Amino acid sequence: MPSGDLGLVVRGLSVAYAGVPAVRGVDLDVPAGHAIGLIGPNGAGKSSTLLAIMGAIPHQGTVKVNGEDVDGLAPEKVVRRGISLVPEGRHVFAGLSVKDNLRLGGVGRRSQDGSADTLDYVLGLFPILAEFRDRQAGLLSGGQQQQLAIGRALMADPDILMLDEPSLGLSPTAVDTVFDALATIRSAGKAVLVVEQRAEFTVAFCERTYVLHDGTITLTLKPEDATNVDVLTKAYFG
Amino acid sequence: MNQLIQSLVDALSAGATLGLAALAIGLVFGVIRLANFAQGEIITASGYSIIFTWQLGWYVAIPIAILIGVILSLLMELGVFSRMRTATPATLLVASFGLSFLLQRVYELLFSNNVQTAPVAPELAQSVDVGGIRIQLLSVATIVIAGVLLFALIQFLNKSIWGLQLQAAAADFRTARLVGIPASRVIGLSFALSGILAAAVAFVSTVQTGAVGPTFGVPIVILALIGAVIGGIDKIYGALAGGFLVGFATSMLASWLPSDMSNFRDAYVFLLVIIVLIIRPSGLLVSGGTVRT
Repeated sequence: MPSGDLGLVVRGLSVAYAGVPAVRGVDLDVPAGHAIGLIGPNGAGKSSTLLAIMGAIPHQGTVKVNGEDVDGLAPEKVVRRGISLVPEGRHVFAGLSVKDNLRLGGVGRRSQDGSADTLDYVLGLFPILAEFRDRQAGLLSGGQQQQLAIGRALMADPDILMLDEPSLGLSPTAVDTVFDALATIRSAGKAVLVVEQRAEFTVAFCERTYVLHDGTITLTLKPEDATNVDVLTKAYFG
Repeated sequence: MNQLIQSLVDALSAGATLGLAALAIGLVFGVIRLANFAQGEIITASGYSIIFTWQLGWYVAIPIAILIGVILSLLMELGVFSRMRTATPATLLVASFGLSFLLQRVYELLFSNNVQTAPVAPELAQSVDVGGIRIQLLSVATIVIAGVLLFALIQFLNKSIWGLQLQAAAADFRTARLVGIPASRVIGLSFALSGILAAAVAFVSTVQTGAVGPTFGVPIVILALIGAVIGGIDKIYGALAGGFLVGFATSMLASWLPSDMSNFRDAYVFLLVIIVLIIRPSGLLVSGGTVRT
């Protein structure tokens, strides 16, 4: 596969709910080994974009993962093409143990070879999960649940990891832990697409950040824009 | 005292039977939001199979009954419910009513409106003397069968990766798919397990009655559905506990209501159900006050 095909390419992605457009012709590129941000106000269409990429909601447009068209595939099949989503609100399986949540994450692997290595990698990235491996996921703190949700997604060994508002409701320390882990994941060669409300933080962290407004990408920001208040204000308020 | 112990054993047995039936309903509901009224007709099919094949020996009759329960359950999923994936739970419920009535008519055509009879495990209908207390063997057998099945099911759900996938799908179907759990696999698994449970309920009930007619499974599934709802139908173990409670209460009322009031037994059960649902609309074992949508 040519290296230029690696990563995620989205073209003309549109989503509508009961005829009301939520996402309008979005184009996105998430190259391998890059962290890309997607910011915008509430209701801009950020979560809908991620769910459409995963095939979880009806949409129009094309989505290519590592050069392969995944349109029309069910979410469980999209995962097997090498892309995973950490959903907004974490959605860990609260009644199951940390260990079982991670086991379930491995169901979406393209090959079961190397799953023990992936588990070691995840537990190295988030040591708290090793400590609490037999604890019910619902009993973890918000920050620990976020680590588990990311760890569960990583168990599928994705090339592209998408995260929907990973800092939502977390303490500053927990946010640091999550973004330190994302930096490590990126440095391991995986692509990261992160949807966030915290514009300044996201723009500084990512190589490129798309601004979504009313379902349309209105701006593309670079890390140096992170401290430019005018640009960030424009990103949110138009 | 003797009568109390006898009625307690009978009530445990009735509770175990309805617990299994409600668990079957809860397993499917947890995954696809279908309260399958036609589960009764799966019980009936397995019941007919036991009546017709018992003479070949239990070791033939029981596996065939399980096979028929599983196959009919999977056929319902493949032939009807898999084509209604985007339907609301209310539409699915109505479809299951339709399927139930259709299958009852099919049973009438195939086996007539009369009940089919056979002495199924007559030795279990005997009573034994335990320390001066007469206990029906069937009650003990029912409790043992339910216990063994539940133990096996809990082991399967908690230890095997397939069981974990089923639990994950029952807890949060969309997230389960986003994690990579195949929807068709877990849905099929839930229907197959409900077919096995239907066969177990059919066995216990045919031993009890020795007769199966086209509506054999209907009264069982009505009480099981009620039990599943009051226990918390969207929680696998909630449905089980609710079914057990309804079966237990029904049997105890039958034993202890004065004879001139025993005709109103079901009215008392339903009164209890209404009170429970007013106080805990999401079910006894579900925290919070709203049903998941």
